[in-house]
Amino acid sequence: MKRELDLSLLVAVGTTIIFGITMIYSAASGSTLWRSQAIYAFLAVAAAVVIVYVPDKLFYDLTYALYAFGLLTLLAVLAFGTGEPARWLSLAPGGSLRIQPSEFAKITTVMALARFLGDRSSEQVVSPRAIIGAVVISMIPIALVSRQPDLGTAVSFGAPLIPMLYWAGMRPLHIFFLVAPLLSVVCSFEPLWQDQAPIVFALYIIVSSVVIQLLLARLWVTLSMLAVNLSAGLVTVYLWANFLLAYQKARVLTLLDPERDPLGTGWNIIQSRIAIGSGGPTGKGFLQGTQTKYEFLPAAHTDFIFSVIGEELGFMGAVFVLALFLFLIWRALYIGTMANSRFASLLAVGLGSILTFHVFVNVGMTIGVMPVTGLPLPFLSYGGSSLMTNALAVGLLLHIYAHRHEY
Amino acid sequence: MDPEILEDWDRRLRGLLVAVCLLFAVLFLRLFHLQITTATDYAKESEDNRIAQRRVKAPRGLIVDRDGEVLARNRASYSISLIRGSTEDDARSVAALEEAIGEPTSYSRRSASVRLKRDVDFQTVALVEERLRGDGFPLHVDIEPQRDYPYGELTAHIIGYMGELREEEAASATGRYLLGDYVGKTGLEKVYEDSLRGVDGVSYVEMDARLRIKDEHPFPDREQAPIPGRDLRLTLDLDIQRAAAQAMPDTLAGSVVAIDARTGAVLAMVSHPSFDPNVFVSYRAQDERRQIVQDSHRPLLNRAVSGLYPPGSTLKLVGAVAALEAGITDTLSTFEACAGSLQVGDVVFRCNNRDGHGELNLLDATASSCNIYFNHLALILGIETWHEYGRRFGFGISTGIDLDPEEQPGLLPDRQYHIEREGWVTGHLMNLVIGQGYMLVTPLQVARYAAALGNGGVLVTPHFYGEAPPTQQIEGVSPETWETVRLGMHRVVYGENGTGRRARVAGIEVAGKSGTAQGPRTDDDAWFVAFAPYDDPQIAVAVVVEDGGGGGATAAPVAGAVIRAYLEDQARRQQAVSAETLQTPEPGS
Repeated sequence: MKRELDLSLLVAVGTTIIFGITMIYSAASGSTLWRSQAIYAFLAVAAAVVIVYVPDKLFYDLTYALYAFGLLTLLAVLAFGTGEPARWLSLAPGGSLRIQPSEFAKITTVMALARFLGDRSSEQVVSPRAIIGAVVISMIPIALVSRQPDLGTAVSFGAPLIPMLYWAGMRPLHIFFLVAPLLSVVCSFEPLWQDQAPIVFALYIIVSSVVIQLLLARLWVTLSMLAVNLSAGLVTVYLWANFLLAYQKARVLTLLDPERDPLGTGWNIIQSRIAIGSGGPTGKGFLQGTQTKYEFLPAAHTDFIFSVIGEELGFMGAVFVLALFLFLIWRALYIGTMANSRFASLLAVGLGSILTFHVFVNVGMTIGVMPVTGLPLPFLSYGGSSLMTNALAVGLLLHIYAHRHEY
Repeated sequence: MDPEILEDWDRRLRGLLVAVCLLFAVLFLRLFHLQITTATDYAKESEDNRIAQRRVKAPRGLIVDRDGEVLARNRASYSISLIRGSTEDDARSVAALEEAIGEPTSYSRRSASVRLKRDVDFQTVALVEERLRGDGFPLHVDIEPQRDYPYGELTAHIIGYMGELREEEAASATGRYLLGDYVGKTGLEKVYEDSLRGVDGVSYVEMDARLRIKDEHPFPDREQAPIPGRDLRLTLDLDIQRAAAQAMPDTLAGSVVAIDARTGAVLAMVSHPSFDPNVFVSYRAQDERRQIVQDSHRPLLNRAVSGLYPPGSTLKLVGAVAALEAGITDTLSTFEACAGSLQVGDVVFRCNNRDGHGELNLLDATASSCNIYFNHLALILGIETWHEYGRRFGFGISTGIDLDPEEQPGLLPDRQYHIEREGWVTGHLMNLVIGQGYMLVTPLQVARYAAALGNGGVLVTPHFYGEAPPTQQIEGVSPETWETVRLGMHRVVYGENGTGRRARVAGIEVAGKSGTAQGPRTDDDAWFVAFAPYDDPQIAVAVVVEDGGGGGATAAPVAGAVIRAYLEDQARRQQAVSAETLQTPEPGS
C-alpha cells in the first residue's frame, strides 16, 4: 500500500539534522563526532520511515505495554545505571554502546497520555478522575527520573500534560486551575523575588482569588483554590529550604545571577552568552568562533550547540534555527488537526509539546533565560539517544499524517 | 472525523500556536538584545577572554665603574606561576608542585595568576615543564630578569640592592609598577631607580581557555616595545675600591672614602663590615637575609654616609684656619707652651704627650697633634668664630651626595646647643676644637674637608654619577692661610715628629692628619685624612677604624694604601693611553 509522506516535515527535519552535523563538525573540530552523528542520523531516519508502515492499530494496542516497558527501563537505570550521575544503560560491555532510557520513555509516556485521554470524550476529560489519571501517568516517570537525579528531564515529562489536557477538551479556565499552583510556586520562590517574595506571593493569592470569584461566583471553588495555592506556595518555601540538592539550588541561583560563581556553575552561562552576543548580526563565520574553538564554551557540541550557531552564524543563523523549529512545531500541531483518531491527534500534539519544551529550555539556557538543565537541542545536539528519540517522534508524526484518511 | 471535532481542533490549534509564538518571541527578543543591541559589549568580552595583555619588562640599566667594569647586571631567573581555576583545581596543582619539588610554596588565594615559587633552579623548571604540565596541571614557567651583583660585598653599600615592591609603596609609586615588582631599595639602585628602570612595553597573546598559546602576536600594531633602562657609569674606580677594602683591618668596623679632590667624584667608598646584596634579591636566601638584618655589627649601615663619629684631631685644622685668619698666630711664631695639661674652669685638659710638647709653632703643633696648643688657640678664638669656620667646611650639613636619603648631616654644636642641654662652659670648646665633645661627622664629610684643605678651600659636592655639581669656594680665607695649613699636613707625614708617617707612599707626596677619637666604644676610633699629590691634590681620603686605637698607627696605612692604588691606577691609565696612541694605525698605511 502506497503511503503519502509529509514531505515538508521530512525536508525540514533533514535540513535541521544536516545543519546540526555541520555545526558539530565545527564545535568538535578535529574529532570524528560529526561522522558518528551522521551514522546515527541515517539510522534514525530509517527508523522513522519504518514507523510510517507499522499498522495503525498496532500503536494503539501496544501503547500501555510500551509505557510499562519505558518505566521498566527507568527502573533499570536506577538499579544498573552508568555514568555520573547515572542516566545511561550499558548495552555492550565497557559502555561502548549505551542509551539514555529517559529519552525513549518520553515518547511512551506521551503515547500513554494520548491513549488515556483519547479514550475519554471531551466532557469526561474534565472529570477529576480523568485529570488525576493523566497526572499519575506523567508523575510516575517524573518520579523515577528525578531520582537519577535529572531534574530537567523529569520536568520535560510533565511538559505535554497541560497542552494535551487542553487539546482533549479542557477549557482555559480549567487549565488555569491546574496551572495556578505552579504560578503559586513561582510567586513564592524566594530566590526569584528576594525580599519581595512575601509581597509578590500575597498579591498573587489575592488577585487570583478575586478573579476566580468574579468569573465563577462560587465561593467553595474560590476557597478551595485559595487553599491549594497557599499550600503550593508554602510547600515551595519548605522544599527550597530542605529538599533540593546543593547543585540544583546552585543552578537556579546562578541562572538568576551568573556572576556569583563565574568560574564554576556560572561559567557555562556566561561563556554561552558571550559566544552568542559576540556573534553579532552575521556571526564570526563557520569554524571561526573563538569561544568555540578555544574551548571557552563547554559542551559546545552537545548542550550548547545553539551557542556555536549563534557565535559563528550570528543573529541570522540563530533566527534561521528558530524558524526551522517553529515550522516543525507548527507542522506537528497541524498534523494533530488532521489525525484519524483522538488518540493520534493527542499524540501529535504531545510530541509537538515535547519539541517546544526542549527547544525553549535549551535555547533559553544558552541565552540565559532558563537554568542549565542539560536538555539537548532536538536534532542539533550531538547524541544518539536524543536523535533517535526525536526521529521516532517524527516517524510517529509521519505515520499519523500518512494514515490520516483511514478511519 | 466529526466536523464538530475538527472545528474544535482548529480552534485549539490557534490557541496552542499563540502560546508557542509567545515562547518563541521571548527567545527572539532575547537574541535580538544579545546579538544586535549589545553585541559590541560581548565582542569585547570575547576578546578579553582570549587576548591577554602582557607586560614586556624593560631591561634594567647596568651599573658600571668608571672603567666599564660591571657592578650590577641582570640574569634570567625562573619562577613558577599557577593559572587559576576553581579552588579545588588550584589546591590540587599546588599540592602536585609541592610534592614534586619537596618544598612548600607561597600559595595564596588572592590574585588571578599566582607566583608559587620564585628563582627556581633548572631542575625544577624541567620538572614543571616536562612532568607537571604534561599531566595537565595549569602551571607556567616565567622568565624574569633578576639583579646580580658580581662584586657582592665590595660594592654593596654603594650599589644597594633591589627588593619586592611593598603594598604601601605601590600605592604611592607611579602607575608603572605592579605589586611584586622589584625596585631599588637602597643605594644607587634606589636613587637612580627611574632612569635604570626604563619603560615597560606591551604585547598581546591569544590563548585558549586552558591558557595554551594560540597566537604570539595577534595584534602586532598594538604592541609597544620596551624602552631599556639607562646604564649608569659611576665615578667609582673598582681598583681603588678593592685596595681600600683590603687595607681595612678585617676584624674592625669602619669606613674609607676617597674622592677626587677637584670635582668630588667618589673614587672609593668602603663601609666595613659589608654584606652580600645578592642575598636580598634571591628568593632562596631567606635565612642569610635574616642573619644580615639581625647582625649586631650592622653590616647594612653605610658607615661612609650614615656612620656618625667624633672626628678627633683631624678636626684641629678648622681651628688652625680660624686662628690664622683671626691673626692669633702665624706660621712660624710659637704660641703658649704645652705643659702636658691645661686647666680651664674646673676641668684639666690633657695632651697626648703627658710631659708636654713645650713651645710649638703651628706647623709642629699640627705635625705632633698637640691638644694643648689648639686649646690655647680656642680660648682666644671663642666658640662663635670656631663654629663659623666649622660650618664653612660643611660640617653639620649633608654633603648632597647622590645617596640621599641615607646620608646623615652630623652635628656641629654651637653655644646654643650646649645651653639647651647642660649649659655653656668654655670647656666644651676645648673638646670641640680637638674633635671631641658632641661633634659628630660622617667619613664622607671628612673626606670633603680633606679635599678642601688640599685644594685651597674649594668645597666639592661628592657624587657617583653625572656631571660634577658646582663647587663652592670657602670665603674669607687667604691663600697664605691655606698654604700654612697644607704645610702642616705635609709635616704630619714627613715631619720628624709627624703622626702620619705611615701614610707615606713611594712616588707621590702625601699630606694628611691623624686623629684618635674617644667614642662610645671601648677603644679609640682611629682616623686619618689625607690628600695627594701634595703639589696638585687630586685625591682626598678619609679613613676611620672603629676601636682602631691610634690614627697614625691604624688608619694612616689604610689611607696610604688607597693613595698607592690611585697612583698605580693613574700609571695604568697613562700606559693605556700611550699604547692606544702607538697602536692607532696611520691613515693609508
